[in-house]
Amino acid sequence: MTDVTLYHWEPNANSGKPMLALMEKGVAFHSHYLDLLSFDQHQPEYLAVNPQGTIPAMLHGERVLTESTAIMEYVDEVFGGPRLMPEDPRDRWRVRWWMKLMDQWLGPSFSMIGWNVFVGPAVRDKDPKELQAAIERIPLPERRVAWRKAISGQFGAEELEESRRRVALGIRMLEEELARRPWLASDQYSLADINGFNLAYALPVVWPELSNDELTPHILRWLRTIYARPATKACWAMGRTSMAKRVAILEQPHTTPGQPA
Amino acid sequence: MSTTLYHGEPNGPSLTVLATLFAKEVPAELVRIDLARGERHGLPCAREPPVAMSIEGEGPVLVADGEAMTDSVFIACYLDDVGRGPALRPADPYDRWQTMTWCRQMIERTAPAAAYLGCRAHPPRADAALLPRIGSVDLGARWQQILAGNFSEDHLGDSRTKIRQAVDKIEKRIDGRQWLMGTFSIADIESYAWLAGMVPLVPEAFAARPRTASWLARVKASPAVARALSLARTPDPAASWSVGPEINRWG
Repeated sequence: MTDVTLYHWEPNANSGKPMLALMEKGVAFHSHYLDLLSFDQHQPEYLAVNPQGTIPAMLHGERVLTESTAIMEYVDEVFGGPRLMPEDPRDRWRVRWWMKLMDQWLGPSFSMIGWNVFVGPAVRDKDPKELQAAIERIPLPERRVAWRKAISGQFGAEELEESRRRVALGIRMLEEELARRPWLASDQYSLADINGFNLAYALPVVWPELSNDELTPHILRWLRTIYARPATKACWAMGRTSMAKRVAILEQPHTTPGQPA
Repeated sequence: MSTTLYHGEPNGPSLTVLATLFAKEVPAELVRIDLARGERHGLPCAREPPVAMSIEGEGPVLVADGEAMTDSVFIACYLDDVGRGPALRPADPYDRWQTMTWCRQMIERTAPAAAYLGCRAHPPRADAALLPRIGSVDLGARWQQILAGNFSEDHLGDSRTKIRQAVDKIEKRIDGRQWLMGTFSIADIESYAWLAGMVPLVPEAFAARPRTASWLARVKASPAVARALSLARTPDPAASWSVGPEINRWG
């Protein structure tokens, strides 16, 4: 019997991070699926768990934890199974540095574009009154603004262009880093890779002109290796939509150019 | 093991790293650079991604055995791992989670607000020759806005709110305890480092906050922070600011 409950959406982005970390550690957990597109995360039942209304949240016994990256560090420290933080202090610094770059700089740019083309249109057809009420229930003012913009398609051309610039630069940075090492921030599979995979698994599908076997062989090699892991497969089996179902290009065997130098 | 810390006046991120270095008794060569002139961009390691693309903006750089590290909270975690001084993060994993989420709020919400308000009150004066060497386009854009004196009323108002929220959080948290996480930690150092300079700039946030006032005094008097502050070359190091982290552009 497990005393861990994870409140999550699809096994990608922020939800996917603790899901995959728990799977890699072999920790059993109760899954509590929240449908982000039905605003489950702003319903009173969930706000009682996490008053900020952000996903994911984890219960461990009486303890309530939020913030996906910090949850992953907790999961790694408190449970047995393979260590997902390297032992070397400098490697640990590098893991945290990359996670922050992805959480605060690159991830939000992916999000803005994703919300503009997917999340906004996916909820736009709901009853306007229902949508208005849903937005008013959002606890964080910044999230209210983001939802309003996504729903009404009000992202400015300039901010979308800035996000595209960051995506392109972020892809180059990832490629250079993965050319140096087998994994993102150290020589072992770590939380940085779990974080990065959840952010970047769809890169070659969504941005094929920027990420493909010719331009970014190391990124493709890295994504394919993580995609093939049993924990990733178990994690993706928990998805309910087509978001994390199958990425055909990651099922191809990778070719030698992607090996780290 | 050779360690060099390039740091500015003991305020903001430089104060976090200096105080942690002293608390953990990590031997390092201290090299003063003027972050408000953009001197970080003239360092030999300036083009390395962690320096060029640091989320923190103009913060210190710790070079350990040739590897340049940035982002003060994570440098502090590194120093906590390698130093022999008392631990600066709690031992219990849940308390460590609290420390990391607390610092994340500081990094993401308080630091951008403090740097924005700090730069408006005490503008950095960049060396024009160094500006073209800034590797990050978004950091360069923030420099240009600040040098031109373009401060948006929205961001200024939002920044004051963020400072008030941070102080409210501390006032609640410190109830019945001396330090934010129970024992003196990176969370105390990081929170003090960004908020000390806000007392004169957002006085309403600190009014009638007696617990925060005594906590600020305690952190200031703690040996490691006091030693870091003693390195100041200006009469009021808390008035030393340079371009900080970005104010978040996506909820």
